Amino acid sequence: MTDAAATTQNVGGARSLLYHVILCGVSLVMLYPLLWMLASSFKPDDEIFGNASLWPDSFTLDAYIRGWSGLTVSFGTFFWNSLVIAVLSVIGNVISCSLAAYAFARLKFPLKNFWFALMLGTLMLPYHVTLIPQYVLFLNLDWVNTFLPLVVPKFLAADAFFIFLLYQFFRGIPRELDEAAIIDGAGPWRIFWSVMLPLSVPALATAAIFTFIWTWDDFFGPLIYLNDASQYTVQLGLRTFVDSTGKSDWSALFAMSVVALIPVLLFFGVFQRLLIEGIATTGLKG
Amino acid sequence: MTHDLNRRTLLKAALGSAGLSALGSLPAFAQDARIRLYWWGSKERSDRTLKAVALYQERNPSVKIDGETLAWGDYWPRLATQAAGRNAPDLIQMDYRYVAEYARRGALLPLDEFLGKSLTISDFDKASLDSCKVDGKLYGINIGNNSNALIYNKAAFQKAGVPEPIDVTWDKFFELAAAVTKAHNGEYYGTSDGSSEETAFENWLRQRGKALYTEDGKLGLTEQDATDWFAMWAKAREAKACPPADLQALDKNNIETNLLTQGRAACAFNHSNQYVGYQVLNKNPLGVTMYPQGAGPNPGHYLKPSMMWSIYARSKVAEQAVKFANFTVEDVDGAKVLGVERGVPASPKIRDAVSAELDDMGKLVVGFIAHVTPKVGPIPPAPPKGAGEIQTMQRRIAEQVSFARLSPADGGKQYVSEAQAILSRA
Amino acid sequence: MTTTAQIPLTISEPEKRSKRRGGWSRTLVSYSFLAPWLIGFLGLTLGPTLASLYLSFTNFDLLQDPQFIGLANYQRIVTNDVKFWHSMQVTFTYVILAVPLKLAFALGLAMVLNRGIAGLPLYRALFYLPSLLGASVAIAVLWRQLFAKDGLANVALGFFGIQGPSWISDPNYSLYTLVLLSVWQFGSPMIIFLAGLRQIPPDVYEAANIDGANKVQQFFKITLPLLTPVVFFNGIVQTIDAFKAFTPAFIISEGTGGPIDSTLFYTLYLYQEGFAYFRMGYASALAWILLIIIACFTAFSFLTSRYWVHYND
Repeated sequence: MTDAAATTQNVGGARSLLYHVILCGVSLVMLYPLLWMLASSFKPDDEIFGNASLWPDSFTLDAYIRGWSGLTVSFGTFFWNSLVIAVLSVIGNVISCSLAAYAFARLKFPLKNFWFALMLGTLMLPYHVTLIPQYVLFLNLDWVNTFLPLVVPKFLAADAFFIFLLYQFFRGIPRELDEAAIIDGAGPWRIFWSVMLPLSVPALATAAIFTFIWTWDDFFGPLIYLNDASQYTVQLGLRTFVDSTGKSDWSALFAMSVVALIPVLLFFGVFQRLLIEGIATTGLKG
Repeated sequence: MTHDLNRRTLLKAALGSAGLSALGSLPAFAQDARIRLYWWGSKERSDRTLKAVALYQERNPSVKIDGETLAWGDYWPRLATQAAGRNAPDLIQMDYRYVAEYARRGALLPLDEFLGKSLTISDFDKASLDSCKVDGKLYGINIGNNSNALIYNKAAFQKAGVPEPIDVTWDKFFELAAAVTKAHNGEYYGTSDGSSEETAFENWLRQRGKALYTEDGKLGLTEQDATDWFAMWAKAREAKACPPADLQALDKNNIETNLLTQGRAACAFNHSNQYVGYQVLNKNPLGVTMYPQGAGPNPGHYLKPSMMWSIYARSKVAEQAVKFANFTVEDVDGAKVLGVERGVPASPKIRDAVSAELDDMGKLVVGFIAHVTPKVGPIPPAPPKGAGEIQTMQRRIAEQVSFARLSPADGGKQYVSEAQAILSRA
Repeated sequence: MTTTAQIPLTISEPEKRSKRRGGWSRTLVSYSFLAPWLIGFLGLTLGPTLASLYLSFTNFDLLQDPQFIGLANYQRIVTNDVKFWHSMQVTFTYVILAVPLKLAFALGLAMVLNRGIAGLPLYRALFYLPSLLGASVAIAVLWRQLFAKDGLANVALGFFGIQGPSWISDPNYSLYTLVLLSVWQFGSPMIIFLAGLRQIPPDVYEAANIDGANKVQQFFKITLPLLTPVVFFNGIVQTIDAFKAFTPAFIISEGTGGPIDSTLFYTLYLYQEGFAYFRMGYASALAWILLIIIACFTAFSFLTSRYWVHYND
């Protein structure tokens, strides 16, 4: 990839080196907290806060073993719960948000601007004040203490961020492509499926990545809706190690925080390939 | 159970294995009571609590207890949300600071009717009972007592060749602290700045015969009191007994950011049950002693419940929940599992039984409470609505004074006028 | 709003055909795309939203039944609440500084990453890391190590003979360390910019190369105009996010907004009122005032967007 890119983009050797120096410098600042977390996970608790050095005076893997055993259930259960919720959320979000985004971007229908404004409006209210009414709603649906309050809204495009994101990308796709398809006799569903989606792979990948990461990192939803330890997600599990008012297990927290990053990085690693696809590689043009 | 396929079960089935784990939460058969138990704390407390639950269920097969646990900061928003949804847990670990807020808003069940029946805490001393009362009614079961405690780094005092700050006056305390700072070349301070700590302020007020709040929920201090408090700390800051404002402001009012833990100061103002939390984060051995004393005979300390069990007002299994709570504070086997992790048990017989099996840290805490107990004064009445906001406000004003944006006198003035405004609004 | 496409001068053949087929079936098809969102909005979102609006006219204290008190909450906010104005000022400062800086940073790095350089996937992942660690304790510790009096920032300044303050705990500067934190977590807008850059057809550049346009000209004449939908998107959502900023202040100040309320963001204040002081009715009123402010800003952005955002449609 380097060679081909170097020729097309005309990046010379010295210049490329300069880029690497800059990027490495930036990366270091980005990497530091992770290194700190990693270092802290190997330290005994009494060295974590008083000692700023990244290298532990003594080195122990205890925290990983202690941490993994979790509460009554092991951290493995938390990982499984998080994974189920995150994967379902990705599927739900990508499908439902792209449908709505297509409607807003390309179709004409009555009340469109009205709905669009309301859709954006849902982004604007701080969630702290809708939390209780929403809790009462889910309680009445008998959904509390299940994954449903965390997953069902994703299938109903509840996060307007993604509708708006895909909407912007859909509007960036040349309209001639739709028109060509219409002449071929295609209806909205076929245009959506065979024109819009293939041309929006980077945007859809972005939506998938963000959904996965944000769902994985979310703790407020699980905090409110999940009661039993057997249903806790990773983020909730992490919050049982440390209590700022009493005796805490910091090294176990950091050990499990490091482990918790692995699925996210894996997901990111796999899906980021799709980010760089798009019109550039599908070879379509307007 | 298959004949009972309802909408909820179907939805769960549709969600596959995700739903399967959720199915575990459906009520099981042949059980008389299902208690939701909720507490804050870290892993050790969870392990101990769940062990006590297991033991209790073994002895009472008809009872099923579901444990729910979170850390302090996440605990209260969830409890508030669930209570707002009329769906709070049956048995709630309650804090002294919040019990009045919940009780006066009708979210907790008065426990007086259980006394002598399923709640056999008649051996609790009066203070341990009164500390869980709000407006004359019992709303909590004391799980363990604590008291204000000065936690200090022994090595820092040794290195400075200065005696440890045990039972000293405020003047002497600041003198020792300044000596510690000097011995560490000004890089490490004798004490953290306690001017923003409400517990320290209250203790000091009680030493001069005042209080934060009066019996009828009014402000129990004057402008002069607040001014003197801020002035005393301003003087200590000047003498370098405590750190400058910009260093102190790094303290976010928790154990991990406290300047003692951060290796920047030798003393922290806190509670005795937090001693263990401090010690595990510190390499140096820590000591625990009473807050510095005033001129008068009253040391200002009082025993208060570090935690209590409260029952949700709408609980359908209140009786069973009380029984389990009773098991943890009055049954030797149950109490032993919890140890002194939540504080020193109020019942003398339990205290003796538990003390026999303690490690060194536990012994130190129990010893401290034994040392303080003969000297304590009565517990103040439950704080009025708005007390939590005033606590936050004190922190802000103390910072304004320490950053020299307000004089101690203006700080005192502002404390009183803002506190009165908060009380009249609440 | 400019959500509808510009009206074409001539109605194309297929469009005439669909017109003849009747508006009803067309509307039905359109709404079938919208259905999941509409069901979710009407079923899950609208109710709680209206409930919070109602609660803003009550004295709801979380635990007791709310009582209607008319406009009292709003009246107090506007006439008798110093903290409202203060937290508003903190938030506006944050929005004005953090959003442009973060976007500029994200766009710059996205441009660099869009070039063919070895190890790109690695860099991308590294740059996204801070955003992954969002609300972790590690961030709070890092920021303290960087911006305390003896932190790395001051060590660096020391080389230039500057003795810096304790940035993070000095009320004069603490807000700016949170601005930097926001800029540092530039991962999400960067990824979106990157996806936008990849959607620009390469043949446009080829044509420009033939015309002899240099890199700078290409950026302003091609890249930026074609990227405007994405810039517009990032600008709006980042601004909305910044107005609602909660987590950074919450983790750095442990929810206090200190020192001396210097990082008391609007939503942090709202959260304190609602959950710490049991005034959810009042918090709801605060939330609705914020919503109106954000809505005005967003509407304004949409109105001006027609002059600078270029869609392909």
